[in-house]
Amino acid sequence: MAATDIPFYQPAGDECEVFAHAWRQQLPVLIKGPTGCGKTRFVAHMAAQLGLPLFTVSCHDDLSAADLVGRHLIAGGDTRWCDGPLTQAVRAGGLCYLDEVVEARKDTTVVLHPLTDDRRMLPIERTGEVLQAPPGFMLVVSYNPGYQHVLKTLKPSTRQRFVALSFDFPRPEVECEVVRHEGGVDAELAWRLVRLGGQLRQLGGHDLDEGASTRLLVYAARLMASGMPARRACEVALAEPLSDEPDTLAALRAVIDTQFGS
Amino acid sequence: MEDWVGGWWDRLIRRAAYRGHPQAAVALADIERQAPVFFRAMGGDPALTVRSTVGAAHGARRRLLERVAGIGERVELGWRDAQSLYLPERIDLYPDAALNRELYFWLMALAARDDAHHGGDWFARNRAATAACLRQMPGLAAVYARLAAALLPLRDLPRRADERAQELAIRAALQQPHQAIALPPCAQPPQPVPLWLHPSPPGGGQAHCARRDGDAAAEDEASQRRDSKARRRYRARDGETDERKNGMLMVFRAESLFTWDEYVRVNRHTDEDDDSDDGAAAEDMQTLTVQRDTRRRASRLKFDLDLPAAAYDDTPLGPGILLPEWDYKRQRLVADHARIQPMLPRDAAPAALPERLLPMARRLRRQFQALAPERTRKQGEASGPDIDLDRLVRFLAERASGAAVAEPPLYQAWPPGGRSLACLLLADISLSTESWLGDAGQVIQVIRDSLLLFAEALTACGDAFGLYGFSSIRREEVRYLLLKDFAERYDDACRGRILALRPGYYTRLGAAIRHSSRILLEQAAQRRVLLILSDGKPNDLDHYEGRYGVEDTRQAVLEARRAGLIPFCVTIDRQAGDYLPHLFGRHGYTVAHDARRLPQVLTRLYAGLTG
Ligand SMILES: Nc1ncnc2c1ncn2[C@@H]1O[C@H](COP(=O)(O)OP(=O)(O)OP(=O)(O)O)[C@@H](O)[C@H]1O
Ligand SMILES: [Mg+2]
Repeated sequence: MAATDIPFYQPAGDECEVFAHAWRQQLPVLIKGPTGCGKTRFVAHMAAQLGLPLFTVSCHDDLSAADLVGRHLIAGGDTRWCDGPLTQAVRAGGLCYLDEVVEARKDTTVVLHPLTDDRRMLPIERTGEVLQAPPGFMLVVSYNPGYQHVLKTLKPSTRQRFVALSFDFPRPEVECEVVRHEGGVDAELAWRLVRLGGQLRQLGGHDLDEGASTRLLVYAARLMASGMPARRACEVALAEPLSDEPDTLAALRAVIDTQFGS
Repeated sequence: MEDWVGGWWDRLIRRAAYRGHPQAAVALADIERQAPVFFRAMGGDPALTVRSTVGAAHGARRRLLERVAGIGERVELGWRDAQSLYLPERIDLYPDAALNRELYFWLMALAARDDAHHGGDWFARNRAATAACLRQMPGLAAVYARLAAALLPLRDLPRRADERAQELAIRAALQQPHQAIALPPCAQPPQPVPLWLHPSPPGGGQAHCARRDGDAAAEDEASQRRDSKARRRYRARDGETDERKNGMLMVFRAESLFTWDEYVRVNRHTDEDDDSDDGAAAEDMQTLTVQRDTRRRASRLKFDLDLPAAAYDDTPLGPGILLPEWDYKRQRLVADHARIQPMLPRDAAPAALPERLLPMARRLRRQFQALAPERTRKQGEASGPDIDLDRLVRFLAERASGAAVAEPPLYQAWPPGGRSLACLLLADISLSTESWLGDAGQVIQVIRDSLLLFAEALTACGDAFGLYGFSSIRREEVRYLLLKDFAERYDDACRGRILALRPGYYTRLGAAIRHSSRILLEQAAQRRVLLILSDGKPNDLDHYEGRYGVEDTRQAVLEARRAGLIPFCVTIDRQAGDYLPHLFGRHGYTVAHDARRLPQVLTRLYAGLTG
């Protein structure tokens, strides 16, 4: 695969190596980290790097086991079995990524159990089939462990089936690279955005539910790259998405001015 | 007549001599809601609160007119100590209000950057902090350039050579903070630099804080004046004492909070006439005389210990309930070690929701009502008003494919209490809640408001909930105040009980959590949330303090979690941060830094936790 087909990912540490080792050893991986810090991008990057097809599922509280495994559909008066993304990934020997896995109901995550221990199999109840996962298959799940989610955690019996990686917002140098590359702005502008991001992250947890994500910094950069005035770009990409409180917003604008005021 | 002319002359000359620009003044109150957020974003310690300063004498030469008018010797500068960030109550330095406003933000950024461990003197430190700010914040650098340029013409150039050299060095530093210059020596202190932090903040060292123990004159408690200036409140600090190690924590804290107009003797400047205006004299105060009246402390303590609880206050219900307590030294639970005494607050008359909370309550009710119906809808019920089409299609398809499947439940329903959630809110109302939170009022007041609003929100979304308060006097009496029981309807009787809450006694947190867990476990709900509103500092009069109290509390939290409850702590204590993770786990608590927003924090947290 040509290097240009691999989605850009700027490593912050040894996460790429850990992931590759886990894949070679056929171990499932759990990724924890705040929103917009690069989890999805990392998985896409690794899938491409390892040459694996990627099957992504965004989990929600209505997600049933059938949504993962598959179901019968009615087609032209006939019924036909249709593989869910998990089954597809197993058959293809690819990478199945369950995003925000804690959102899924606990009884749903239980279908992952036989796949994530040394049996590596997927029983499909409805058709009576039992799939054995090929060596290439890998299961990756992610979630955001903020305090908003204390009610939603994985059962220990689920958690303890994974190798886990903790993500956080990248170091300034790394994040600057990300913003420059993804946002299409020069290094000087990227630095200012990254510093602004750092300032806004000081507020995560008390004044704001969560600090500004790398994703939002990239948004702001892209708006600037397309010609929007810097302050306005920051306002719409970095202040408004973070709060609805007028006082907090006014304070965020003052913070933006420390980097982009004139 | 002579008097009258004198007064008139006085006013005239004061106005002529005054260097500020009152018409362009910006008050701290104008920006105080943004200030804490901004300060924290600049990297300022999130534990600090923002307060207004008292003017301090700068000692520099004044203009002749100023000396005649007797003004201009005090200046309000910004500074920071371990507790607070102090900013001038008003800034009218510049003729342009926009600049005065920008000066506030500049001072906050500078104070956040200022490093107390920087070895240099006042001059070097401010120069270094300024340079650091300018390097890292290009936008702020533009602001600074405006402020500095506008400041220079406002400064006097002294005639004496050494004073002149000093002033020139300051000007150079203001214009080129990146350049390392030293301040030339001079007998006269420099003219104040409003763009920099205070050279010798008041109250910073013992020299400014003469302590007079046992002065009976402080007995007078009644003289409380609550004008805006009374908000300039200082907390007496005891350099060496670690509050956590102090067994008398609550007493110490409550007693050490004072307002200067209650306890402080004004130490007037000598060249001032004996102006009879108390307010002006107090304005001029720079030396704090802290009066720590030992007798009063002792009598308060006695009051706590000796009065038979049942006889004078809250109405006890029943003989009490015995609970175990964790002894960390022996690593085991000691059975029947603490007595929970359920009670009703005394003097609680049914009351409506206070007027001032109505708008917020209305908003919360709307928000929480909107949440409720969507959540109660249930798929895959055995019976119900609607067909669950998804499941039906799936079922028909499977049957048609020949697989033998039993008929699943195929309806949608809105069963009552579909969310199946119960929440118990436990509020710490120990003596520490008597303390003041700047202009947000007393902690207890914020807690009462939060309870009232929380109850409105939960009533709207229909979740089962109970509200309780607690405090303790040793292990024999853990006072557990019933505000709204789970079985009870939330009404004016409950509101009245909340409004009747008064601070008192200590914090045997473990016992209160254990009892709350028991109550919550009796509720038939799938998810049961135990919200604890406390500063998270367990302490009581006996050995229940320090490590013992912390470990018992931690154990009670673990027990609750093991029983399937979801304990979560919300605190407004700025210093509590360090052992909250130990007590509640890293994601088991949150700190509401702005106490005024506690009600919002609580309700949003609840929506987030349970949504
Ligand atoms: N290390 C990185 N390398 C490259 N791009 C990154 C990196 N970190 C963040 N990004 C950028 O941030 C954006 C958001 O990242 P991503 O979608 O992976 O976040 P996430 O962690 O999956 O968030 P969520 O939990 O909200 O799904 C990406 O589209 C990418 O532009
Ligand atoms: Mg993602």
